[in-house]
Amino acid sequence: MFNWTGKGNLAESSPTPLKNFRFPSAIVLFTLVWLTVRFPFQFEAAVGHVLGTENRLDPASLHLRGEFVENNLGSAREADGSVTVRMIAQQYVFVPQCVLIPAGVPVRFRITSADAAHELTVSGTDYQIKVVPGAVSEARFRFPHAGEYPMPCHEFCGPGHYTMRATLVVVPRDQFRTLSPDERVTCESR
Amino acid sequence: MNRVSSVVVRDGARRLCAAAVFVWLPLALFVTSNGGWSAAQVRVPSNVAWTQATLEAASNGDPFRGLLLARRCDHCHGSEGFSSDPAIPNLASMDKLTIWKQLDDFRSDKRTSLLMRAIASELSSQDSADLAAYYSMLPISPDPEDKRAFPQDSPVAANVAVAARLVTLGDGLRGIPPCQACHGPVGYVRGAPSLATQNGAYIRSQLEGFAGGLRTNDINMPMRSIATRLTEEEIQALADYYGAGLGMLPAGATQPK
Repeated sequence: MFNWTGKGNLAESSPTPLKNFRFPSAIVLFTLVWLTVRFPFQFEAAVGHVLGTENRLDPASLHLRGEFVENNLGSAREADGSVTVRMIAQQYVFVPQCVLIPAGVPVRFRITSADAAHELTVSGTDYQIKVVPGAVSEARFRFPHAGEYPMPCHEFCGPGHYTMRATLVVVPRDQFRTLSPDERVTCESR
Repeated sequence: MNRVSSVVVRDGARRLCAAAVFVWLPLALFVTSNGGWSAAQVRVPSNVAWTQATLEAASNGDPFRGLLLARRCDHCHGSEGFSSDPAIPNLASMDKLTIWKQLDDFRSDKRTSLLMRAIASELSSQDSADLAAYYSMLPISPDPEDKRAFPQDSPVAANVAVAARLVTLGDGLRGIPPCQACHGPVGYVRGAPSLATQNGAYIRSQLEGFAGGLRTNDINMPMRSIATRLTEEEIQALADYYGAGLGMLPAGATQPK
């Protein structure tokens, strides 16, 4: 049996290995348990979720009603002060094409598709959101540092797929001005 | 009597409380949970949505009835769907859904044009479908008798190279998709007009309209997003490219030698 504690060596061990077994120390045990529990979440935390089917959207009528009408897209301030970004993915542009958010606070992304399956990925991070028509995909991401992150589409969506690319501009928190409840902001309206 | 009425009053008050708790409170929570944003402020780019019913209404027109109706369009759009003024769009072989949607947008003033609004407001939904069916069937073959402005002069080779790149490849780093991915011949998106036989001056004016906010009737803003990323020179190059009829050729044939 492998000796977890590092005390003693194989040469000293008896011919019957089980006799020489020492129980692993608390630190080793804790690390093992923590990794086992935490490891799956390392992946799950960075990925957005397609929300359930109870709130089906008509992908053809996004511009007529609901939360994805064109003057509700972009970054918005919620009642509790947090920031929500609403976007539409469509062949072959994300709208808005340039998203402005503050650094250091969790930002909720809500995205839907108007036509095919898309996937929003944030370059330089492991953040990604799968987007399908008819449902809202949601994710909560946090960007500690200010900067510009390209957001290419990562799901083949047609002949213009490779040009489908939005930009995420993360500004320091004090440069992101306080929005009134019905104000929506993108890079253009900064 | 007095006792009965007091019971009624007490009962009424209880109901009011229940209403406040079960109706008003959830309603208030719902409204504030939306960030105070109310549906009354919605800006709708176009009343058209490509639902199954709309697709059927727009694409099942009668081309012969359209032929009779189209005689009032001849003066500007030409008797064969090719106009004599490059600032006015050609309609020959135009996508059905495009014609139907643009007429609807002119009617509802989602696309601004005093002249087209007056004309479209006299047309019913069925008339629009008939016109769409007629114009989509018109051939694009050349006719020397016709005083059409298409095709315009060939542009300089440098501009052709710029435009051919945008048409076939787009510009991925700037988020500009290739024109042909939606406007044909490579790909097709509902309501996207075919550009192969379109006039240059018209294409230029529309791209500038999308970029400058004069035209805002594209559903979910694809053209407004793209046109704002094009430079003035690129818009001119694209207008020259399509205006010269190069959009009709296979993409490889338009590269300057």
